[in-house]
Amino acid sequence: MKLRSRIHSVLRNLLHNQQVESQLDEEVRAYVDMVTDERVAAGISPSEARRTALAEFGGIEQVKQAVREDRAGAGFDLLWQDIVHGARQLWRNPGFTLTVVFTLALSIGANTAIFSIVNALMLKSLPYPHPERMGTIYTRVNGARPSDDRHYINGEQWELLRDEVPALISAASGIRASGVNLQAGSHVEYVHDARISALYFDVLGIQPAIGRSISLDEDRRHGPKVAVLSYSLWRNIFGADTSVLGRPILLKGEPYTVVGVLPENAATPSNADLYTALQPARDGEGSGTNFEAITRLRDGATWQEADAEINRTWLSRASRYELGENPGAQVTYYSVPLQKGLTGTLRPPLLALMLASGFILMIACANLAGLTLVQMMRRTPEVATRLALGASRWQIQQQFWIENLLRALLGGAASIGLGVLALRALLLLLPEHFLPVAQVPLDGRVLAFTLGISLLTSVLFGMLPALATRKVELRCSMSSRTVAGVGSQSVRQSLIAGEVALTVVLLAASGLLIRTLVHLETLPPGFNPDGVMTARASLDDIRFHDPAAFLQLLDQSTAAMGQIPGVQQAAVGLSLPYERSVIMGGITIGDGKETGEKTMADQVYVTPDYFSTLQIPILSGRSFSEADGQKTQHVTIVNQAFARKFFAGTNPVGRHLNLQDTLIVGMVDDVSMAPGIDVAAPLTGEATMYVPATQVPASMLAMVHVWFQPSWIVRTARPVEGLTSQMQRALASVDPNLPFSGFYSMRDLMAKTLATQRVEVALLTAMSLLALLLSAVGIFTLVANNVAQKTREIGIRIALGSTVHQAMFEIGTPGVLASAVGLLTGLVLCAGVLRVMHSVLYGVGVYDLPTLLIAVATLAAVALSAAIAPTLRIASIDPATTLREE
Amino acid sequence: MSRKQTNLLQGTLDLLILKALGPGELHGLGISRRIEQITQGTFLVKPGSLFPALHRMEEAGWLRSFWGESENNRRAKFYRLTKTGKGQLEVETEQWTRVALAMTQALKAT
Repeated sequence: MKLRSRIHSVLRNLLHNQQVESQLDEEVRAYVDMVTDERVAAGISPSEARRTALAEFGGIEQVKQAVREDRAGAGFDLLWQDIVHGARQLWRNPGFTLTVVFTLALSIGANTAIFSIVNALMLKSLPYPHPERMGTIYTRVNGARPSDDRHYINGEQWELLRDEVPALISAASGIRASGVNLQAGSHVEYVHDARISALYFDVLGIQPAIGRSISLDEDRRHGPKVAVLSYSLWRNIFGADTSVLGRPILLKGEPYTVVGVLPENAATPSNADLYTALQPARDGEGSGTNFEAITRLRDGATWQEADAEINRTWLSRASRYELGENPGAQVTYYSVPLQKGLTGTLRPPLLALMLASGFILMIACANLAGLTLVQMMRRTPEVATRLALGASRWQIQQQFWIENLLRALLGGAASIGLGVLALRALLLLLPEHFLPVAQVPLDGRVLAFTLGISLLTSVLFGMLPALATRKVELRCSMSSRTVAGVGSQSVRQSLIAGEVALTVVLLAASGLLIRTLVHLETLPPGFNPDGVMTARASLDDIRFHDPAAFLQLLDQSTAAMGQIPGVQQAAVGLSLPYERSVIMGGITIGDGKETGEKTMADQVYVTPDYFSTLQIPILSGRSFSEADGQKTQHVTIVNQAFARKFFAGTNPVGRHLNLQDTLIVGMVDDVSMAPGIDVAAPLTGEATMYVPATQVPASMLAMVHVWFQPSWIVRTARPVEGLTSQMQRALASVDPNLPFSGFYSMRDLMAKTLATQRVEVALLTAMSLLALLLSAVGIFTLVANNVAQKTREIGIRIALGSTVHQAMFEIGTPGVLASAVGLLTGLVLCAGVLRVMHSVLYGVGVYDLPTLLIAVATLAAVALSAAIAPTLRIASIDPATTLREE
Repeated sequence: MSRKQTNLLQGTLDLLILKALGPGELHGLGISRRIEQITQGTFLVKPGSLFPALHRMEEAGWLRSFWGESENNRRAKFYRLTKTGKGQLEVETEQWTRVALAMTQALKAT
């Protein structure tokens, strides 16, 4: 009751201040009037009565002030006055305020943008019910080649996980959604199909909006063919027609019955247009690690129980591929939260970016601390006056802190706008489906982070100046006209040194990443990427399971594309340079001293003109020809890496693979490709064997086309108008129901593979440029201030015979000195910090001398110019004017 | 005016105002006069103490104010005890009686 009345009073006093004031005024006046009335009634003259009444009252204003001070919320009132005063200060000094707000907007904006991604990927719960009960399984291998990450699993592991781990509801899916052909009315669409096991949607906690999900029966081999549609596919292709349920649609050339439609906005890790049954087994696809598992803890079970069950059943397997490369190693399995499993590879670069944006914030704070310090020093006379008039030091401190806070909040508000823009730009930079989340929201947590960081910056950049004003000497400051600032100079120099040091680290780090990207992009590709256009189509289609139909398609379509005017050559390959390819295990060396050795290598089926179209040099032996047919000797062409790996670099031509079965007829140069076997670098030349498309066994055709969509490639001497539509027409002339997924130049393919590196480079470079800019501004203002403060001194010196150059040298030196110290400190920091970048660098060492030299040289040049630029004003100082002004 | 005046003890003023308002509503001058009357002129409450106290007590929820007509037809602000104020008057009266008794005894003791 009492509290409520108090809150009510505070609000009334603050919000209806004017009304409260006028009532007080009236009340006081009534009192005086009544006393006057009494006196008049007692026979005293009206004017005399009023005079004595007023005198007795004892000062109307004082009484009113006494009431005000006793009022509830008087503290707020004072605070409000301080804020208004602070705001007026900001307004009166627009240059300074703008600089501060702009600096903060840039630096906090960078942090806001990066943090919203961290938030979306690592902090925000997955959009599923009880996300904390969802997981995936990591494999920890201790041995000669230790590893600790998420493994794909094979059919045996999947069956054991499904049947022997009662603590979990488990589901499997194909490794990524693959392209399939969906016949919709008269035309065919290339859509993304995720192959999932039964219970997949139960693990995710998604209920189909209409219909049901895939049943256990449909998930068995040769089970009924059914499909679950995503909401957007259902709306876009089937016009949100509910009667599609239970009806067959033509998918992969076969009828599939639609059993369900997912709700709108339902997101799955596979991010597909539609879902079909995985129908996993131990053989075929399941003989290799081609599945991905997700799990959900059953009610009442614990993760410890689940892990114990997984380890018990998976360790009892007879053949364990994990030990293949690591004989005798100790293997354990454990569950990790699904979110970590999905974002595992993105975490380290993201945290590195967060660190870099933290650096930016510190640099900005150092700059602002310096600026604020100067600003405070300028206001020394004001502070001294206020102290002399009886203000307490606490009150003055409070005033300064409020001003800093106002600036920080203004900067924070501006940074949200800038952060949103930066985030938009950043997301545009990322390839589609690069992030495993549908959207990066600007939610309450991000806003709270921005607010928190704004408050933090106000403390960081306000602390030093606040400490400095504690030492204001009353008498000195009042008497001397010039502003004290001897101590502040060295403080500012240390600040500059600090930010220069951080800038060195950022510059060096982005330099290393740029070198990595340049290294990767300029790797000898092993073929001629210019003038090649590629297009992909899905052959995961019952019509092409028959080798004869498949070969006829390749033959006729390449012939038709070869007829396009301007096209020199056309070919088909299962995969292209810069892409991943199928990894084949169980390749056996057939003769020589390595006989019987088993190995795995990338395998690519190609049409005869593949090598000539891409201009991959044949180093030894011959290329494929039309003569290499279904019934002739099985032949293969290997690359140099293959020869190096298995034949110690000797010429492999004439050797046999798979027990005399396949003859190596040629050796080609290595081409840059995305790694599959040994993920040592984003682009490598992995051991690869090329086989003629004619000799791919029928059993293999269906399987590889589930995973991979072959590419058609054409080479033109010069750009051809309408090439892509002519390619589509050429394909349609052979099979009107086969759409291309899209057209890509070789450069597009490379950019896609190097997306992570490109994004890292773009972001870190932007941040280091920002750091460079901030440092330059810091040095510039330090020296410029020096010039402004010492104009009189310089005038006298010049009048006494000093040259302009000497004066410039004298004034510019502090800035240069501070930068030099910063550069050295930065190099020392680099020694420690850059080591963490080891894993993201390729083709360049962590302590790369040229990179460090360029970073230092850039920074030195910028620092020097920033220090010299303001001293140029010295030349325009006229001693006569300066002295007269004094 | 050679009446002996005593400085108002902190807290005493509140009690006196509560007591003065006990019988019914009064405006500021009325309260001042009434206190003078019930203390037989021992306590003279100056506006400088009276008004801050009235506003403070109103904010504390002990008093409620409203505008009304004074006996000679002047618009004046009247104060009246609230329920909480009445409770407060009882509590403070009891406390004061205890303190006064204790003080009297303490001063009488030899």
